[in-house]
Amino acid sequence: MVTVEIILFASLRDRYRVRKTVVECDGTTRNLIESAARRLGKSFLASVYDSDKDKVRDDLIFAINGRNIKDLKGEIELKNGDVVAIFPPVAGG
Amino acid sequence: MARGFMGKILRVDLTAKSVITEEVDEKIARKYLGGKGYGVYLLYQYIKEYAMRGISVKDMDPLGPENPLIFMTGPGTGVPGFPSSGRHHVMALKSPLTGSIGSGNSGGTWGATLKFAGFDGVIFEGASDVPVYLSIVDGKAQLRDAGDLWGKNTFDTTRILKKAVGRKRASVMCISTAGENLVPMAMIMNDDHRALGRAGVGAIMGSKGLKAVVVAGKEKVPYAKMDEFVPVSKRCLEAIENNPVSGEGLPAYGTAVLVNVINTAGSLPYKNWQTSVNPDAEKISGEALAEKYLVKKGSCWGCNIACGRITSVKSGPYQILATEGPEYESLWALGSATAVKDLAAITKANHYCDEFGIDPISVGSTIAAAMELNEKKCIPEDDLQGLDLTFGNAAAMVEAVWRIAHKTGFGKYMAAGSRKLCEFYGHPELSMSVKGLEMPAYDPRGIKGIGLNYATSNRGGCHVTGYTIAPEIVGIPEKLDPLATEGKAQWAKVFQDFTCVVNSTVNCLFTTFALGAGDFAELLSAVTGWDYTDAEILKIGERIYNLERVVMNRLGIDGKDDTLPPRLLNEPLPEGPAKGQVADLDKMLGEYYKLRGWVDGVPTAAKLKELEIEL
Repeated sequence: MVTVEIILFASLRDRYRVRKTVVECDGTTRNLIESAARRLGKSFLASVYDSDKDKVRDDLIFAINGRNIKDLKGEIELKNGDVVAIFPPVAGG
Repeated sequence: MARGFMGKILRVDLTAKSVITEEVDEKIARKYLGGKGYGVYLLYQYIKEYAMRGISVKDMDPLGPENPLIFMTGPGTGVPGFPSSGRHHVMALKSPLTGSIGSGNSGGTWGATLKFAGFDGVIFEGASDVPVYLSIVDGKAQLRDAGDLWGKNTFDTTRILKKAVGRKRASVMCISTAGENLVPMAMIMNDDHRALGRAGVGAIMGSKGLKAVVVAGKEKVPYAKMDEFVPVSKRCLEAIENNPVSGEGLPAYGTAVLVNVINTAGSLPYKNWQTSVNPDAEKISGEALAEKYLVKKGSCWGCNIACGRITSVKSGPYQILATEGPEYESLWALGSATAVKDLAAITKANHYCDEFGIDPISVGSTIAAAMELNEKKCIPEDDLQGLDLTFGNAAAMVEAVWRIAHKTGFGKYMAAGSRKLCEFYGHPELSMSVKGLEMPAYDPRGIKGIGLNYATSNRGGCHVTGYTIAPEIVGIPEKLDPLATEGKAQWAKVFQDFTCVVNSTVNCLFTTFALGAGDFAELLSAVTGWDYTDAEILKIGERIYNLERVVMNRLGIDGKDDTLPPRLLNEPLPEGPAKGQVADLDKMLGEYYKLRGWVDGVPTAAKLKELEIEL
């Protein structure tokens, strides 16, 4: 098991009333989100994870140590001390 | 005249105090649309005319009477149901800040209201010997004395002129203190808090003695094919509402929400770009703004996105009871670039920028450059006159904004912009600008495509010329790795071309999170009656970008200027997810030129012919 810090932003922060939480998981993103959902509420899983496609929801920015998960090559394996930042769909200019 | 246009442009000779009406040239409108495209075409006509008269545009004083100032709307502007189309565009032959082309785009209601008053655009030439303003009401345009308005700020000028016109829906565009003082980063304001923000167009207006343009009217913009327009409009508006960014992200948090996103990506420039991880980003973020100071949302005319933020700082030394913003760029420039973490101070400084009409990006970046010069002990104490320009000093930052607008004390040095300031103190490399225009809030060492866009952007260090942040960070229309260089040349080119279409339509760039060239082709075809294809739409954009480049070439700007500050090319980011990265411009620029059909920043004759650009 590894310990990972999750930071929520924007509407996700408002909805789950938490800025930062530390959870233990088996190193997969699915297990990370499931572990967080046990603490934050069931709906967190659906808010962040697309169970049908078995991957993080496409419309989110899900960054591991600052790198968007979509830009990371190969199988994702979270490590002890990793920081995961999750943003709802946002933009600016 | 094709539908979508009112068919008339005002030409105002401020020297002679004459106002004449000209017809919109239909052939030019077909090829260049309106807004920026039509404006660029007009600028090139000035170059030809000046060449015949022996006037060198290279040596021309940007604050002299020869510099034309052109305000244009487009065929989409003011059309009910055309997405986010309350905007207008400004073009000037030469920016006082950069020496390159002057260009800007603003929201609000002014653009739409100009069309309701009966006109598509206004061209200002010459310079008045006394302050004047132009009143355009119900098809009649008159120059009037502005002696009593000169010296008044944005909000006073707006209120007084709206009252003078006596129409609830009148719209006022004006300059304020900075424009009157010919500060090269002065903005032109409209509807109180909207702005033609960059490249010092406010100083050009000030140099002409033109204080304001007030518009009011009740005309309707004609449609060509109402039966085709209604379903296309409905589909496009729904696409914007259903898009996660334009329908959810922007309305909920505005642009300010990007502070944490970009900081997480290690690309939020901090302390004049010495690094791009800001340890205090949370304190100046959109989330913090929403929690502490947000009152309600606001929107421009005809917009269903509503990204505007009405804010209020209720108490404390930076109290400001009613204001708008700050937007993402202001939060960054006045906050992160200067290492100021007091959100109230940033909000107040941003309010000053609107009140005095001065560009927060260039102002914040220039103050940040001054702070680094001061950190390196390059500024004599006597010059600073007691201003403690230390990174993180909120009070000094707010004071500096005021001093720049008023050109007092050390403010008169900073008012010249970061390039001249840093050159004056012997460290030109500390100016974080491209072609003299201060870059906005994305570090290209961590987001490579935006660096290529900054370097090749016609007006200088500008993000909205080709907003590759959409694919590189947001993932729209598809996700690109921000640290990769492959393919970025094509993306930068397409974004630059498409943005020219948006700025010539004229509507809001934010619609492009949901709409593509095909949607614009359908919307514009239905409104104008001309049958555009998506390929033709992109070709129009490419034509505009190339003609703008030709204008710049005549001003002496070419490939030597398509570069980035040495810090971004040579100094690797010291921390964060992009640690060790530099901008890698050399890996992208050659491919970009090849795709553009340019040699050393100059369009080839073959490319101009292909785009049907007649010089």
